[in-house]
Amino acid sequence: MNPPAPKRLWQWFAHTRVGRSIFRVGLPQSNLERAQAMVSSILLHIQPAKVHRHSLKPGYTLGLGLVSLDLFFILTATGVLLMFYYVPSTDRAYQTMKDLQFVVSAGLLLRNMHRWAAHLMVLFVMLHLCRVFYTGAYKRPREFNWTIGVGLFLMTLGLSFTGYLLPWDQLAFWAITVGTNIAGYAPVIGPKLQFLLLGGHTVGQEALTRFYALHVIVLPGVAALMISVHLWRVRKDGGLSRPEEPGDVVEQRPLEQLPVNKSYGLMELARGTTPQVGIDPQDEIFSWPHLVFRELLLFLLVSAVVLFLAIFWNAPLEEFANPIHPPNPAKAPWYFLGLQELVSYSAFWGGVLVPGLLVTALVLLPYLDRNRGGVGRWFARERVVANTIFTICLLTAIVLTIIGTFFRGPNWGWVDPWKPTPVQTEGH
Amino acid sequence: MNPPTGPAPNPVSRRGFFQLTFGWLAAAFAVAASAAGAVRFLVPNVLFEPSQVFKAGKPDDFLDGSATFLEDERVFLVRQGNTFRCLSAICTHLGCTVNRADHGYHCPCHGSVFDDQGNVKSGPAPRALEWFQVTFSKDNRILVDKNRRVTAENALVLPAKV
Repeated sequence: MNPPAPKRLWQWFAHTRVGRSIFRVGLPQSNLERAQAMVSSILLHIQPAKVHRHSLKPGYTLGLGLVSLDLFFILTATGVLLMFYYVPSTDRAYQTMKDLQFVVSAGLLLRNMHRWAAHLMVLFVMLHLCRVFYTGAYKRPREFNWTIGVGLFLMTLGLSFTGYLLPWDQLAFWAITVGTNIAGYAPVIGPKLQFLLLGGHTVGQEALTRFYALHVIVLPGVAALMISVHLWRVRKDGGLSRPEEPGDVVEQRPLEQLPVNKSYGLMELARGTTPQVGIDPQDEIFSWPHLVFRELLLFLLVSAVVLFLAIFWNAPLEEFANPIHPPNPAKAPWYFLGLQELVSYSAFWGGVLVPGLLVTALVLLPYLDRNRGGVGRWFARERVVANTIFTICLLTAIVLTIIGTFFRGPNWGWVDPWKPTPVQTEGH
Repeated sequence: MNPPTGPAPNPVSRRGFFQLTFGWLAAAFAVAASAAGAVRFLVPNVLFEPSQVFKAGKPDDFLDGSATFLEDERVFLVRQGNTFRCLSAICTHLGCTVNRADHGYHCPCHGSVFDDQGNVKSGPAPRALEWFQVTFSKDNRILVDKNRRVTAENALVLPAKV
């Protein structure tokens, strides 16, 4: 059968001298070329040439980590474009938001995409964290990659938080006022940390400049670096977690017992959990095309969903920031509403102690959990204790978030969401 | 020269010891000094913030028994007879602006309630609202200094005739 014209054109180009110099391997035709295609491309080589068949089971990973990565790409692309119009000044920031909404071609769409992708990223990073927990995937040898993952979760929240100030609307101003005041409750360094974050005593131009620098370069840069390490570690820790199978572990002589005055090839030095070791070749699948095309398909799906949301729902923009009057109620974005509900009881307990303990527990989790069993399966019975504790914490967070979102009205008082909104009498 | 075979007891020479110690000390110092310098760089030396001392106006501008909200300063100026006091409108919980209610003050963000004296009646606020020092300027204006905190009783009492 004759291949379609674009493919023929591509094949012709890939085999010219110029094409060869760029792509090295054309469109792979054999298993050898499939492996070479993965190894010879900087974009693809972060992934192995072959993956375990279990890694491609959609029901195991649900693709949550990959969706988070796709959202990070979308956020980077849309964010860089928004930077061409946005001015981080208290006088002009809000006006540039209005320009994006009403004047700039596709400005509204890009801002919507950026906002919804950001919300989705927080959601999917959280879901990814839950997936890794419920499948016991953080256990040896993947302990440290879990810790990096917790760091990435915090980066995601930090990016959302710093991004919130930039529109300089009411929500921005008061969310950051409340947030940086929470930082002020941290023991010992609290007030100094708050001053350092704001570059002053109140949320003003200095704070906007600082949050802008953090949002557009510092945090994304650190996050990109951590994502690279996170992905690389997945490979180095033996690919995605999976249930242990007979033949997985092969006896290797410990590195110390090998003669030291001999030259070694890389394959001989590959130890323990590297992907080459201990996998039956029959269990392996070529990444090209099976993994790469699935990834591309998922990226298209994620892009389509973000685009759909951005076309049909506009990102909210409240009134111009008014340092005199907070909106009533002044609500943080949904992922902070559980915290805000806690903070409404006590700023120190809800804003510093409880989140601090939770993050510490998450970081230390793989080193505290001594149970080696139940890796690679959802809700393994051996892990019933750990799963129960985690589920209770998760449900508490969800309930607090629901209360903060739907059951809190003016003055953070209790309202029943099914009743009509009470007329606001108290104001200025 | 043959490379050493296997781990051999290798006593550290004097030169090696100094190289090791001072090398690492210098490296640690360089890292610590750079980090400290970077943090210090981020602490501003000049703040472009409005003065904490301001004139609120003439005593007659405020009605007897009123608590007037001064927007730009985020304070309430409270007059009772001939006494003038100045109450911070910034909630001690997380920095929102409190609203005047029929009795006392309400914070819209997390529901703290304060009485007329600024004391916490309910809600998460850890402390009472701040009272600021009120004095009288040479040109007969009420002068508030937000740097100086005073007790609720510490008010400016005007002479009977102004």
